[in-house]
Amino acid sequence: MRVAGAELVERREIVSGTWLTAWHAPPVVSGARAGQYVHVRATDPGGLLRRLPYPIATADAASGMLTLLTGGSGWAGTVRVGDRADVAGPLGRPFEVDPRSRHLLLVAEGPSIASLRLLLDEAVRDGRSVVLLYGAPTASSVYPTSLLPDEVEYIVATADGSLGHRGSVADLVEGYEAWADQAFAAGPPALLAALTAQASGRRQRLGVATLGRKRGGGRPPAAGSAEARRKAFLQVAVGQSVGCAAGTCFGCSVEGAAGVPLRACREGPVFAADELAWAES
Amino acid sequence: MKPKRKAVPGVRSRRSPTVRRIRPAITPVPPASRSAGASSAGVRPTRGAPEGSRGAPGAAESVAPAVDALGGRPVRLAVDLGRGLVLANPVIAASGPYGFGVEVAELVDLARLGGMVTRGVALRPGGGHPAPRTADVPAGMLIGIGLQHPGLEQVLERYGTTWSRWPVPVIVNLSGSSAAELADAARRIDGVPGVAGIELNLSSGGGGRVFGLDAMSTSSAVAAVRRVTELPLIAKLTAAAGDVRAIARAAEEAGADAISAINTLPGLAIAPDRRRPALGSTYGGICGPALKPIALRCVYEVAQEVDIPVIGIGGVATVDDVLDLLAAGAVAVGVGVAALADPMLPVRLADELADACRARGVSDVAALVGTALPARPGHSSTRGAEYAR
Repeated sequence: MRVAGAELVERREIVSGTWLTAWHAPPVVSGARAGQYVHVRATDPGGLLRRLPYPIATADAASGMLTLLTGGSGWAGTVRVGDRADVAGPLGRPFEVDPRSRHLLLVAEGPSIASLRLLLDEAVRDGRSVVLLYGAPTASSVYPTSLLPDEVEYIVATADGSLGHRGSVADLVEGYEAWADQAFAAGPPALLAALTAQASGRRQRLGVATLGRKRGGGRPPAAGSAEARRKAFLQVAVGQSVGCAAGTCFGCSVEGAAGVPLRACREGPVFAADELAWAES
Repeated sequence: MKPKRKAVPGVRSRRSPTVRRIRPAITPVPPASRSAGASSAGVRPTRGAPEGSRGAPGAAESVAPAVDALGGRPVRLAVDLGRGLVLANPVIAASGPYGFGVEVAELVDLARLGGMVTRGVALRPGGGHPAPRTADVPAGMLIGIGLQHPGLEQVLERYGTTWSRWPVPVIVNLSGSSAAELADAARRIDGVPGVAGIELNLSSGGGGRVFGLDAMSTSSAVAAVRRVTELPLIAKLTAAAGDVRAIARAAEEAGADAISAINTLPGLAIAPDRRRPALGSTYGGICGPALKPIALRCVYEVAQEVDIPVIGIGGVATVDDVLDLLAAGAVAVGVGVAALADPMLPVRLADELADACRARGVSDVAALVGTALPARPGHSSTRGAEYAR
């Protein structure tokens, strides 16, 4: 983790209420991986001085540029091009793509697509096929195609049916589950819970043979390890608000499958889906 | 011509502008057995402050005054909280933001703090509240984390040795659901090297019981702990009590050595879809700048009511907040949620406080304490309508 005085280079509203902000922050960009986040010191005059977590949407080491998706209110609504902000990162555990995976299924809803954006770039660069399923309330809030690489197959669901499939983005997953080698998701807890439930019986449904290995075959990797995520079919990035990002405040805890709370800031924000327990709500 | 200063062999004359000599402040009155082994690493057994000398100006003489290498006058920053607990300066990391300290030890020069209070622990382990645990509210944050910790036994085992090596006094924040449970926990803590004191959480709903709402429960909780330990005991009050003065008085009479005021205040936020409260725990504690006027009110009232030292906590983010709390009667100040965004803040505030003393021509920070208090005891805030007139 490094702290940089980042400068805001560009800021524009891509859909109503969601802003694409580009920051020049070379120390933070170098080594940043998909799924990680930055902790930005938000100076809110009169209010509480705090840091806000933003997933790293894109990071370009060559130019030292970092893009984040922010809201338009509060601190994020006050920053202007040329302003500087204290940005700490990259933080948290990243997505892990198995080198053998050819077909990646990405599922996102709303602004949380930021968590998957860098993964998408990397997958395209590495020559993998990518399908992005995206959910939004209505056509005007759909992430613009112009911001995505041409190689990506982009399928949209809107709650009101104004564009693409009418209903939840989770409805679209069924058609791609068998095709995908690995899946990655970001969004509200309800979506992640639905996707986790869908993915849980995958082996049986698809009749995937579990082949033994010569050594240590069948022993599951340690929970929380990079290997556990690499071997998982579904990895999810949780959007928990992070208070300290140092692991001390326990404000970002999510319920772990083992009954132990896990901190999104340190053990996450990316988890293998089966590491988490989703409350029925 | 001035002769060049001769180097005295064996004495380092080089001064650095940022590093301050701070004597260890952990000076618990040793229970007969503990003297040789425990006091090896930096813990210097000082004279036990004689009963009755509390708050006297001479009590903190054993701590070297901070010297500004750039030629500033030395300023005495040390604070005596009683029962031998002497802080090198009045700025404390309040319970919460620093966890158990080890998480931030690489980031923050803890030795430059007056003290560090751990996150809340209780006798038995706890998992805390369901997510979401934080919500943004105007001028602050609503937190409903609950008591998430591996249990007192584990905490002392894992961190006790580390704490004993630190020059900064580590104060354990203790919760419990009954006076008996608190006493059991305090008995376990007593004698652990590295623990400089206990802050009794009489105020938080985070899984423990809120003793601090009435004087009777406060008295029973404090007395139960007092009976089993010789450690410095700090009672942490809540502003949710009807009359904080009565609670503070009860804590003092039951044997507390100092008072912390205040903890977070219970609050509620609504989820964006307006179908439920925002926090998994329903209610949360409000912290941040929103708390400052309430903290000032409580410190002001309590400082007039009791003779033991008061630690002011609530909404501290700048040195002005520190000075305000001191003026209201606090001898020390705790930094809470503001340290999340800026972990270095408490250390910086200690430096800025020394500068503020110099700027005011004050050689002892004690001169800034209670300057806003009335000459004769004032009326209490519970006399309603006084401020509505």
